[in-house]
Amino acid sequence: MALKFWIFLAIIQVLLTTITEAVRFDLESGHTKCIAEDIKANSMTVGKYTIVNPNEAHHTFSQEPQQPLPDSHKLTVRVTAASGNSYHYADHVQSGQFSFQAVEAGDYMACFWALDQSPATTMTVDFDWRSGVAAKDWSNVAKKGSIDAMEIEVKKLYETVTSIHEEMSYLREREEEMQDLNHTTNSKMGWLSLLSLLICLSVSGLQLWHLKSFFEKKKLI
Amino acid sequence: MEERKRCVLGFLLLFFTLLRDLSALSITVNDVECVYEYVLYEGDTISGNFVVVDHDIFWGSDHPGIDMIVTSPGGNTVHTLKGTSGDKFEFKAPRSGMYKFCFHNSYSTPETVSFYIHVGHIPNEHDLAKDEHLDPINVKIAELREALESVTAEQRYLRARDYRHRRTNESTRKRVIFYTVGEYILLAVASGLQVAYIRRLFSKSVAYNRV
Repeated sequence: MALKFWIFLAIIQVLLTTITEAVRFDLESGHTKCIAEDIKANSMTVGKYTIVNPNEAHHTFSQEPQQPLPDSHKLTVRVTAASGNSYHYADHVQSGQFSFQAVEAGDYMACFWALDQSPATTMTVDFDWRSGVAAKDWSNVAKKGSIDAMEIEVKKLYETVTSIHEEMSYLREREEEMQDLNHTTNSKMGWLSLLSLLICLSVSGLQLWHLKSFFEKKKLI
Repeated sequence: MEERKRCVLGFLLLFFTLLRDLSALSITVNDVECVYEYVLYEGDTISGNFVVVDHDIFWGSDHPGIDMIVTSPGGNTVHTLKGTSGDKFEFKAPRSGMYKFCFHNSYSTPETVSFYIHVGHIPNEHDLAKDEHLDPINVKIAELREALESVTAEQRYLRARDYRHRRTNESTRKRVIFYTVGEYILLAVASGLQVAYIRRLFSKSVAYNRV
């Protein structure tokens, strides 16, 4: 009875994990699509990408055998940081995954290139990219100790709250920087308009002086 | 008790897989860009936000904004947001299935859109009644989780807006300096041309006092 329950649960789990809530987009052959994400410094990030099989009995629990993806459906993936360092590169693959510790904060870009095919086909790419709290592997934490399921859930909530707190401090910092930037722009504008007035007056004064001396030289005045 | 604990663990594991959220992603919209999202249960709340980060802020923000259209798996439009530079949205999914979120850019300049979509499910009394192993506390935990998700979503929205404002401010600063220095140079050149012209008028090759 217990064994049956666990088998049932395992099957449900497997079937549900194939129905991940991830971004899905269309990629025409020969085109590029890039997706960027802003990742904080020193946070874990995990990404999985696969080409969705159009023949797949999608989101149903049927057991029909699926035809394999045509060989021509392949893509090239590259994940780069804002500074240009490449963190992941895969050529001519149909699915894959990457995970790394984001050393530098900023925009990380995952670009997908679809190979050129003679009848221009559109592939659907399923891309799951998570970072920070969502990237943490909770099943490992559960396996390590005999921790109560409720405790895991509460732990997760606690980590979420901590990340919210950090994010608030970060936003406050950025707002302060923005205020400084605005203040310097404001004062710069003030000084520059004063300078422009000075330049205007001096240029016209120079003009007058030069023309006066020119006419005196020409004995017109 | 063992059996009950196992059931609770089982269903909590199911919750963990169901309540995954999506990270905030940016995509460059040239004309139309569509993103798909699967909704497992009918009645789930789909919430999210998007912010447009202008690429070329040259003549000021006369860009009409980006349209966002959400299409249900049946093909009808569920939610529309027209001509905004960023907004939040929240609606109940009328049915389960694959929903399409499309961003339309009516201008030729490419725009970067940073978006975040979250599908949240809270087990209701119907689910509670269906399965006696489901504890009412799971409902409370799911509600708490959803509330925290909404705070996180709001933070992502604020972060994206802050980035957009920062870009506008930096562009303003650069333009102030550029235009002011350009103005000085133009002024000097105009005055120099004036002087040169007047000198020419009074030069020897032209007759005196013929001006």
